[in-house]
Amino acid sequence: MSRYMAQVGAIMWKDLVLELRSRERLTSMGAFAVLAGVLFSFSIDTASVRTQDVAAGLVWMTLVFGGLLGVGRTFYLEAEDGAFQGVLTSPAPKDAVFLAKTGANFVLLFAVSLLVLAVFALFFGVSVGANLGWIILVLGLGSLGFVALGTLFAAIASGTSMGETLLPVLVFPLLVPMVVYGVGTTDRLIAGRPLAEVEGNIRMLGAFALAAVAAGAVLFRFVVED
Amino acid sequence: MTSPGGPVLEARGLAREYGPVVAVRAVDLALEESDFLTIFGPNGAGKTSLLGMLGGAMRPSRGQVLIQGQALSYGDVEWRHRVGILSHRGFLYGRLTAEENLRFYGRLFGLSDLDRRVPARLARVGLENRARFQVRQLSHGMRQRLALARALLHDPDVVLLDEPYTGLDPSAATVLRGVLQELREWRRTVVMVTHNLSQGLELATRVAIQVRGRFAWEGTGDDIAASGFEALYHEVVESEGGARAPAGVATK
Repeated sequence: MSRYMAQVGAIMWKDLVLELRSRERLTSMGAFAVLAGVLFSFSIDTASVRTQDVAAGLVWMTLVFGGLLGVGRTFYLEAEDGAFQGVLTSPAPKDAVFLAKTGANFVLLFAVSLLVLAVFALFFGVSVGANLGWIILVLGLGSLGFVALGTLFAAIASGTSMGETLLPVLVFPLLVPMVVYGVGTTDRLIAGRPLAEVEGNIRMLGAFALAAVAAGAVLFRFVVED
Repeated sequence: MTSPGGPVLEARGLAREYGPVVAVRAVDLALEESDFLTIFGPNGAGKTSLLGMLGGAMRPSRGQVLIQGQALSYGDVEWRHRVGILSHRGFLYGRLTAEENLRFYGRLFGLSDLDRRVPARLARVGLENRARFQVRQLSHGMRQRLALARALLHDPDVVLLDEPYTGLDPSAATVLRGVLQELREWRRTVVMVTHNLSQGLELATRVAIQVRGRFAWEGTGDDIAASGFEALYHEVVESEGGARAPAGVATK
């Protein structure tokens, strides 16, 4: 078990170091989050629409589209010099590779989700203070479910000629339950509704995230093996 | 080496097909300790596919690979520990330093003495002064030497080399030759695919010419002179229906 965790840790460390040195995905996701927040704030007529009524949906749409920019490029740097083949021919189990890449993607997307929240709090004047911790938990669970599915399907898409173009087509239909529960829960938390109203939804998001991680860990080897 | 005497690496009826295209046809081989097999052959002969199957990187369509008598199934983790692969691609991350690349692979292999092992391996391939350089800042020859250090980092029993001399300058080729010589002295089993006759025959104890997926000719290194082997190579390839290569080159 300790060797397994060391292998997961090594791949996660490698992915995060590569990202910190290239900043390719963080830059594109972060820029998208800020630009989306600014554009949405200009495009909504606050005289007829209350911003807190639409903020949750826009936060999640920004997170999903911005996340695709980053997750879709998960295997881009791996293609360089056949490096991923080196990982696949190492003793690291394929599920460990998946968990590590999902973990690294989660760190990146969770950071972006906090940025998205800050951007919308700033431009939409949404008050999240009362339930901030719960909103962050909901975004964290959503991010985990998203990156688990996104990492699996990014591996599939990277092996096709359509590449990143194919990823949204594959992932979006599977994200519907997560987005429905995520938007509903975030909306109520922003509105300051009691926690008892959203506990069930939070459990569903947690179950979705765990199911996505487990399914990805099992299926990943069929995607990457010869 | 854990079981001296018997074959270290065996292939039984190993075959690989890509749809209707047959890349490797029922190859049998048995290599013992210190055996150094060099495989020559024209383009598309299936040499890289054979190496991929021997290294566990590619699933055979039929047949079996055994290491020290133990039949291995595709994806077997033990296989990874016993085999080192040096491809024409280095399996290196350009934005990691030379040292970080080796430490990364060392952790994947569960090696515990990386503080000692990594500097020693970098020194062996002449890269001790480039340890902190990112791989993308290294020349092709340096990358290939680092890739060699990566392939041998876990002290594999079996070493598989696919065109290891490609793109190397004379000094890098000398380093590679020295490491290969050491592998023989350490009684490792080596399989090398190359199209350079002189480099391929230099250390070979066994030689094979692969044409259209099968070993069309096999012999031992001792009774082959480079001058005579070139004519033999062309004769074998042409008799099997392969294209004739320019003199001095056994085109991959």
